[in-house]
Amino acid sequence: MAGIMTIAKKELLDIFSERKFLLIFGTLLIVVLVSTFQGAISYSSSQSTTGMQIRGNMTQLGGSGRAIVIGSAEGLSNTLSSMVTNFSLVGGVLALAISFDTINGERQTGSMKTLLSYPIYRDKIIYGKYLGGLIVVTIVSAITFLAGIGIFVGFSGLPMTGDTVMRLGLFFLISLVYMAIFLGVGLLLSIVMPQPSTSLLASMIVWLASIRLIPNIGYAIAQIMYPVRMTFSGNTSGFSTPQGFDSIRTVISALSPSTTYEQIVNNILTTSRLQFSSGNIATVSISLEQTLQTSAPYIIYFAGLLIAIFAAAYFVFMRQEIR
Amino acid sequence: MSTAIEINGLTKVYGELTAVDHVSYNIQEGEIFGLLGPNGCGKTTTILMLLGLIIPTEGTAIVNGADIVKDPIGARRSVGLLTDNVGLYENLTAKQNLAFFAELSDLKATEASARVDKLLALVGLSEKQNVKVSTMSRGMRQRLGVAQSLVRDPKIMVLDEPTLGIDPEGTKELRGIIKMLSREQGKTIIFTSHLLNEVNRLCDRVAIMKTGKVIAIGTIPELRKQINAAEGDEFEEVFLRYQGVV
Repeated sequence: MAGIMTIAKKELLDIFSERKFLLIFGTLLIVVLVSTFQGAISYSSSQSTTGMQIRGNMTQLGGSGRAIVIGSAEGLSNTLSSMVTNFSLVGGVLALAISFDTINGERQTGSMKTLLSYPIYRDKIIYGKYLGGLIVVTIVSAITFLAGIGIFVGFSGLPMTGDTVMRLGLFFLISLVYMAIFLGVGLLLSIVMPQPSTSLLASMIVWLASIRLIPNIGYAIAQIMYPVRMTFSGNTSGFSTPQGFDSIRTVISALSPSTTYEQIVNNILTTSRLQFSSGNIATVSISLEQTLQTSAPYIIYFAGLLIAIFAAAYFVFMRQEIR
Repeated sequence: MSTAIEINGLTKVYGELTAVDHVSYNIQEGEIFGLLGPNGCGKTTTILMLLGLIIPTEGTAIVNGADIVKDPIGARRSVGLLTDNVGLYENLTAKQNLAFFAELSDLKATEASARVDKLLALVGLSEKQNVKVSTMSRGMRQRLGVAQSLVRDPKIMVLDEPTLGIDPEGTKELRGIIKMLSREQGKTIIFTSHLLNEVNRLCDRVAIMKTGKVIAIGTIPELRKQINAAEGDEFEEVFLRYQGVV
C-alpha cells in the first residue's frame, strides 16, 4: 500500500501543476455553475404556478393538497438536467485529459524506466496512478457539486429534506463512477497507444462516440429494425412506435457511458411522475427505494463497465515489456 | 575483489531479431565497466534485462546475489539507473523528484529528507532544489539524474549514455562525480557512452558489442593489444576496427 500511496501522491502533484488540468477544471466549474444558476431561477419561478395547478387538480379529485410533493419531484430532475448534461460533457473530457498520457507520457520522457528500476511491483504503479487520478476527480467533483448545489439551493429555496440529500449524494457518487470510467478509458489508451498524441486523438474519438455517435447509431439501428411510422386516424395523425424500437435503442445507447450516466442520474433525481387517473392528472411520488430498484440494472452495468475497463488496462500493462 | 554481476548466456529474441545473443561475463565490485557498441547492438536491452525490466529469452544473471529471472525486485534493490533521457518528472521540482524516489525506496521521512539534501549538495543543485525540472538545462538534469540513481544508495549504478547532449564542462563535472562514486564510495558502475574518450578516461574494463554479441572484453590496453593497435592510435580507431569499419 505504501508504494501505491507514494505514486498516487506524485500523480496528484503532477496533475495539479498542469495547465491543461486547471483550464478544463475551470471550464467545468463555470459551465456547471452557470447552468445550475439558470436551473435554480427557472425552478424558483415555476414552483408556485405548478404547485397551484396540481393542488387544484387534486382538490377536484377530492384529495388533499398537502399530500402532494411537487417541489423536490419533477423540479429537481428538470432543473438539474442541464447540470447533468454539462457534467457528462465536460466531466468526461476532464477525466480523459488527466489520463490519456498516464503511461505513454512516462514512456516518452523515460521516467517509466526510472520508475520501474525501483524495487516496486508493477501492479502498484498502475494502482497508484489510477488512485491518483481518482483522488483528483473526486476533489474536482466535490468542489463542482458543492458549489453547484449551493447555488441551486440558495437561489431556488429548495428544502433540503433527507430524501433530497440522499438523491444528491447518489448523483455525486454516480458522477464519480462516470468520471472513473473515462479515467480508465484514458489509462487503457495510454497503455495501448505508443504516443500521447495518438492516445489523445483516440480519447477524443471515444468521447465523441459516447456523447453522440453511439446514441445516434442506436436510433438508426432501431429505426431500421422497427421503423417508426406515421399513422392517420380520422382527422388526426401521429407516430406509431413499435414495441422493439425502444428496447433496441436503449440497449445500444447503453454502450455509451454518457447516455447511461444521464439515464441513471435522471432516474435518481426524478422523485415523482404525473399520472392519468380517472381522466385527471395526478402526481405520484417515487420513493428512493423504487428509484434504486429501477436504476439497479444500469448501476450494476456501470460498475461492471468500470471494472472491465480497469481490468483490461491492468492486464495489458502487466504484460508489456519496456524497451 | 568479489563479483557484483555474473551474466550467463543472456539472450533476448524479438521475433526474427536477436537483440542480445548468449552474452556471458562478470563485473567486479567497485569496477567502472564500459559497455560499448553502435546503436541497436544490444547495450540497453542488456541493461534492462539486468534490472529485470525485460525477461530474457534464455540465460540469466546474478546481480548482487539476486537472480534477475527469479527475483527481479531483489536485483533492482541494489541497482540505481540513470537513463539516456534522464527520466525525471518535468512538472516537479528537483527536490520533489528526489523526495518521490526516496519514498519509493522505503526510506523513513527524516532519513529521506537528509538523503535528498545530501544528494542535492553532492551534485551541486542545493540552490536549485525548488526549480522545476522542465526549466533546467540538460547538464543540470543530468546531475539531478545522477542524484536520483543514488537515492537508495545502491551498490551498483547503471549509467546509460549519461553524457549525452552535455557540454564539455558538464561532461567533466559528471566524470568527476562518477570517479568519486567509484573510488571513494566503492560503487560498481556500468557505463555506456558513444564518447569513446570518456570511456577511455573512466573505465577499468570495457566490453564491445556488435549485433547482440560481445566481440571483445578487457582493459583498454588489453583490447589495444588484441587488435595490435599502434601506440599512437586513438581509442576511437581501435573501437572502429573491432566493429569492422576500418
